[in-house]
Amino acid sequence: MNNFWMDVKNIAMTSGQIALLAIFAQNIIFTRALGISASLFVVRKKYNIGIFGLIMAVITTLSSCLIYFFRRPINNLPYAVYFRPFFYVLIVGVVYVAVLLICSKFLKKYIDKIRPMIHLAAFNGAVLGALLLNATATMDFWGYLAFGIGTGVGFILASYLIALGFERLNSDKIPRVFRGFPITLIYIGILSLAFHGLIGHELSM
Amino acid sequence: MLRKFYQEHRSTVNKFDAVLLNNPVLERGLVIAPVIVAANSLKNALSLGVAFAVITFFTIAISYFIPKGIPYTIRVIGNAIIASLLFIPSTMLVERMLPGSTQNLGIYLPLLVTNSLIIQKSESRFHKMKYPSMLLQLLCNTAGFFLVVTVVGSIREILGNGSIFGVSIEGFPFKAPIFLLPCMGFMLVGFFAAGVKKLVFFLNSKPKERRRRRKFWTEPADETTVDVTGGATDE
Repeated sequence: MNNFWMDVKNIAMTSGQIALLAIFAQNIIFTRALGISASLFVVRKKYNIGIFGLIMAVITTLSSCLIYFFRRPINNLPYAVYFRPFFYVLIVGVVYVAVLLICSKFLKKYIDKIRPMIHLAAFNGAVLGALLLNATATMDFWGYLAFGIGTGVGFILASYLIALGFERLNSDKIPRVFRGFPITLIYIGILSLAFHGLIGHELSM
Repeated sequence: MLRKFYQEHRSTVNKFDAVLLNNPVLERGLVIAPVIVAANSLKNALSLGVAFAVITFFTIAISYFIPKGIPYTIRVIGNAIIASLLFIPSTMLVERMLPGSTQNLGIYLPLLVTNSLIIQKSESRFHKMKYPSMLLQLLCNTAGFFLVVTVVGSIREILGNGSIFGVSIEGFPFKAPIFLLPCMGFMLVGFFAAGVKKLVFFLNSKPKERRRRRKFWTEPADETTVDVTGGATDE
């Protein structure tokens, strides 16, 4: 019994570390610019960042867990590098349809509101990027689960920071040519520099 | 002269506006991640440009024929599957042209499979056009991406590494490795986006305003009308 709780504690500690890494040190937007188009789109359209991020986290986590079971056969294929995106797209596609069906069944009241968010959240750089980053990682199932959750939470935090700046950076006080998109990119660049200072080294691509 | 030419031939020029004035990266913020992170050398930039052109052009051109009666979700998945299949020959082509570059690009090459032009804009924009004009728009969009990615890649390699296409520039006095990092990619693309916006404002402004300003400089009587915002007060 004691061993069981020790195992639970170890798994929780390791998964927590992986999730924290994904949220802060390897934040998907500030360190790798993944999902930046989706984030800017969400901010511009004034979608609910929390709900969008939650949907993205669910899709990333479920896809990540599915890939855990298929990663060995995929990685053992000859020329796996060429075929990997095809299999990952298939897996994300399955999760996308499943999430859409489940939401249509159980969230009938909100489905019209969240359907466009599901469409946008399923296939974007953040989801596929997070999955590809873990393609050859040597983590257990809980690690994949934690990384998926951490990626989604990191996306929500980063998008919230971008949204905070976007409102202010769209004001008349900013020179007209920089207003909106250009100054937002410069703002994200400064935040990215701060994250680089936190990590202290360049992440591998 | 440039503005006069643009205003006289606006409808013709606007057919090709995706190359610069309505650039997918600088104006609409699409397919931005590879430019910001992976385009830190000219070799990487050329690889990204070629792969993007092949994957995006042929995916959207082929997926045009997916029947519109099929639900949107399935059509989007179909687009992504076509792109992931086209990724195979495009990566082989890039590897043949620029050996070793696919390794350098890491996840940013396969990431082109789900780029915003394929996933979002194919259904909302390209597939609503007639086939020939869609092909023209696709060509302009891919040319626009190619232009941005190569310019950004070249500048970052020169300033960050003091070299171009891997060959170091002799006597080049400046070398700041920070230009190779994503943070400077964000800032550089931000400044380029502002530059394009400035060009768009200039091309759409009235020549009369410019004449008035020129006259003002010759007669600096009223200081309150000095335009220090680069045209920001014109709004």
